[in-house]
Amino acid sequence: MALSTLGDSRTRERVEASLAGGRDASGTAFKLVLQLSLVLTIVILAVLLGQVISLGWDTVATRLGSFLTAESRSRAAEAGVFQGLRGTLWIALVVTVVAFPLGIAAAVYLEEYAPRNRVTAFIELNIRNLAGVPSVVYGILAYTLFVQALKPVTGGKTALSGALAVALLVLPVVIITSAEAIRAVPSSLREAGFGVGATRWEVTRAHVLPYAAPGILTGTLLSLGRALGEAAPLILVGAIPGSVGYDGALLNPGQLREQFTAMPIIIASWSTNARQGFDQATAAAIVVLLVVVLIANASAIILRNRFEKRR
Amino acid sequence: MSSEPASARTAPRPSVAIPSAEVGTEPQVTSTVLDVRGLHVYYDTFLAVKDVTLPVPHNKIVALIGPSGCGKSTVLRCLNRMNDLIDGCRVTGQVGYHGVDLYDRRVDPVEVRRRIGMVFQKPNPFPKSIYDNIIFGPRIAGVPKSQFEELVESSLRKAALWDEVKDRLKASALGLSGGQQQRLCIARAIACSPDVLLMDEPCSALDPIATGKIEDLMHEIKVDYTIVIVTHNMQQAARVSDRTAFFTVDVNLDSDRRTGVLVEYDTTQKMFSNPSDERTENYVTGRFG
Repeated sequence: MALSTLGDSRTRERVEASLAGGRDASGTAFKLVLQLSLVLTIVILAVLLGQVISLGWDTVATRLGSFLTAESRSRAAEAGVFQGLRGTLWIALVVTVVAFPLGIAAAVYLEEYAPRNRVTAFIELNIRNLAGVPSVVYGILAYTLFVQALKPVTGGKTALSGALAVALLVLPVVIITSAEAIRAVPSSLREAGFGVGATRWEVTRAHVLPYAAPGILTGTLLSLGRALGEAAPLILVGAIPGSVGYDGALLNPGQLREQFTAMPIIIASWSTNARQGFDQATAAAIVVLLVVVLIANASAIILRNRFEKRR
Repeated sequence: MSSEPASARTAPRPSVAIPSAEVGTEPQVTSTVLDVRGLHVYYDTFLAVKDVTLPVPHNKIVALIGPSGCGKSTVLRCLNRMNDLIDGCRVTGQVGYHGVDLYDRRVDPVEVRRRIGMVFQKPNPFPKSIYDNIIFGPRIAGVPKSQFEELVESSLRKAALWDEVKDRLKASALGLSGGQQQRLCIARAIACSPDVLLMDEPCSALDPIATGKIEDLMHEIKVDYTIVIVTHNMQQAARVSDRTAFFTVDVNLDSDRRTGVLVEYDTTQKMFSNPSDERTENYVTGRFG
């Protein structure tokens, strides 16, 4: 020990012994368990990703262009995901245009305008429950609502019906995450606004929404990414598990009222296709869907950082 | 709005009329800017503050003091209807403002807050630039853009902040120190050209130097504004105010509910040297129990 022994050496030994750690065995074990859980999660994810990518890599590497632009065919070597990609993009677009504004507006009302009473609490509780309802149930609802009741508007089993089904599915999640972001706005900020004579609307627009924007964006875009992988509601609304008839245009509004398919549908139908080569095609389609979801999530992060810098 | 229940009146208290030496011979309507009469505040069914009568004279600083939970902040927040924002808060009695009852049904609380500004306990600048903090109030009030530059400078000068920030008006207000932020909040309130400034423990989050600056500032701006300040600091009340109101807590022994009451309201000099009520004396001499 580098310290000079000023006091008597017995005292020093006693202090040294009492300062030595090593009693916290359960704490160390707990930390190990936590680390193990994390490693396990990452390993499972890595194995899944590795398998999909290694299986689909050939297709992606050798014919990415034709894979993205071709329609679904019975021969795996010629099959492509164009129509599925297009359907998924339509869904993303409709969710952004319909579910985001509606959900954010509902959240603003619940947090900023609605009186704090039992009716509001009841509504909030039910929105939370709706967020937990299985997506198949939304499919059934969408079938009766959009395919049957609103057939004159949607045209029946069309891309619009499918997209609206997904919009319905994410709506409660959008409301909940937006409401949480709005609730996280410090009340001192609202008071500051009201204190200089701003109306509720002025405070909400000028201070609450800009402050909550990063949180709202992150929550909504993450929920979108999640919803783009949903197959169940689309199947119920009548998505076609194959080619829907080739139309080269990427996004032509008329397609909203035509029959449709989407990435998760293509993946599901190819994965049960026993013909040679569809294993690889399925994996490649999964890679494409993952990239789409990754783009949605990345834009969430970029937008959040940009908004946070401004506030 | 019910009128004040006469039976609820408690301890003797200086009359509502203000000594004429202080305010000249003007009738009371113009000399008393805020005339609180028989104010009761409830949170749901719970009576938080009981029967407060408190005339606030023009261009004076009135301090509200008292122990925690005595309702002084609650009373302050009734003066510009900030309490409207709290669910379940209900007010009876009158808050006269130049003779108009602020709780009259035709009165818009937004308009009230434009004339009766507020500075809060914790500095709460908007997370925007210094410039934008100042002009937010005037902009929503419809002040033409051409006046913004001048308004920003004059407000910051009045708040004794101009020299410190004139080179970085476009910088974020959150980069200022706590004391600077609080002076910015005062400048922001001043920019709306209010008539009255309400200050809710404006120095409790500040160090003594910043506190001194704010107190000096209050003395300077009182020629233009009437100020009501809530403070925990009795020395501060003694230093800055012309009149002081002492509140305390009445504990109902049956329900253990605590209700704030106004004990005494008089000139600050009298309150701190020769108060009429024993409870006031105990509090200002530090023997409160």
